Amino acid sequence: MEVLTDNLDDFASGLWVTTRLVGAAFLVAVVLGTLVAALRVSESRPLRTLGGLYVETFRNVPLLVLLFITFPGLRRGGVDINAWTAGIVALGLYTSAYVAEVLRSGVAAVSRGQREAGLSLGFGQVAVLRRIVLPQAFRTVIGPLGSITIAMIKNSAIVGASIVALDDVLKEARVVNSATFQTTEAFFWAAVCYLLLTLTATAAFRGLEARYAIRR
Amino acid sequence: MGYLLDPGNWEWVVTDNNLRFLLEAFLINLEIAVIAMALALALGLVLALGAIARPAPIRLAAKAWVDVFRNVPLILLILYLALSQPQSVREFWSDNAPGFLPDALRSEFILAGIGGLVLYNSAVLAEVFRAGILSLARGQREAAAALGLSYLQQMRHVVLPQGLRRMVPATVSQLITLNKDTTLVSIIAIQEVVRSGRVLAGTAGNPFTGSEVAAPILHVMIFVGLLFVIANYALSRLSRRLETRESRRIATVRSAPRVSEAPPA
Repeated sequence: MEVLTDNLDDFASGLWVTTRLVGAAFLVAVVLGTLVAALRVSESRPLRTLGGLYVETFRNVPLLVLLFITFPGLRRGGVDINAWTAGIVALGLYTSAYVAEVLRSGVAAVSRGQREAGLSLGFGQVAVLRRIVLPQAFRTVIGPLGSITIAMIKNSAIVGASIVALDDVLKEARVVNSATFQTTEAFFWAAVCYLLLTLTATAAFRGLEARYAIRR
Repeated sequence: MGYLLDPGNWEWVVTDNNLRFLLEAFLINLEIAVIAMALALALGLVLALGAIARPAPIRLAAKAWVDVFRNVPLILLILYLALSQPQSVREFWSDNAPGFLPDALRSEFILAGIGGLVLYNSAVLAEVFRAGILSLARGQREAAAALGLSYLQQMRHVVLPQGLRRMVPATVSQLITLNKDTTLVSIIAIQEVVRSGRVLAGTAGNPFTGSEVAAPILHVMIFVGLLFVIANYALSRLSRRLETRESRRIATVRSAPRVSEAPPA
């Protein structure tokens, strides 16, 4: 317990860094994931292939490798990217592939008749997707999106473990460990920090699910 | 874009032993993945059976174990095991590891690396297995019990053969995740492909192969990423192949004439 109370500042700042990292990466993942899902369900074959290529690439590449591409890789290439942007971009890109897959299956779950009815009412392709299909698809994917978010919170620890300049929860735990040599306590409290975040996310997504549940 | 496509920045691939150096390191990742997967599958099955067992203490213990290890970030687990394992354990392994293993697998930290991968993945797989077993109609087990099969016989001959088949897609996708996660052991100084890539991208070129050509880290990591994309894409294709074969098999079973539909004799 002393390890926590003596180093509360470190753990709190780590928790805040992880929270911001996860929040920003979540936005990137949802925006990119939605765009890619739209490509995946489009009428045009080249666009569908492009979306498929994107998903297969970012779902199959290790996050750690992506981080080495976005941070030291781009910097060595003369791109002036800072640790925050690199971490957010890598985590966001990685997660966006999963979001796209979940959204695609959500769109597939909306019956074809909905789309056909929209088209016959004179809506365009994009309008049908935006006003009719996606709002219904989003409901069915709240649960799976929750699991992706929880996985992302856990994956965010990889960012702090590889990019030296980002002091997230895991990084602070390592600092506390080297200062106190209380390895078990330091890592235990770090795990508790992550648990706090995943439990909050779980509760939030449960709430959303209850609120937007489709009652038939 | 010019920097990325400049042939001079790709020269390292065809220079000296660089390519072989990287591919051999990638093989280490695959070996770690296979070892960890085999152990995680076995432990996951035990945990899943524990989580649905009748005696409450076993059930609660298995569930608590699964919940703890599923909710901890894997890299935190690996780092903790590496930092907390006593000197004696480390020395025991580096002194007594069988000689046929590659150097990376005789590293004093490999037990922590594989241990973390197994603990985490067995907890995830236990949930997959539990869901697969519970998705079977209760009647299957009850019928088996009514036929006088013991618990172990029910599991071995009735429940698991049907349940495990349904879990193939989820299990393969976890295998892909595990394959990607093997790169995390680079953080505890095990010489696998990401670490080898970083060595290759060191300013002096590659000390292991004596290469003078510097490899830009961006290009090295894109190459490493490509290796994983190819390997994991092949795995996911394999899973899809299994799935379609499975659904075809089920379809043939279903389309066989049922007794009630048999023509009257």
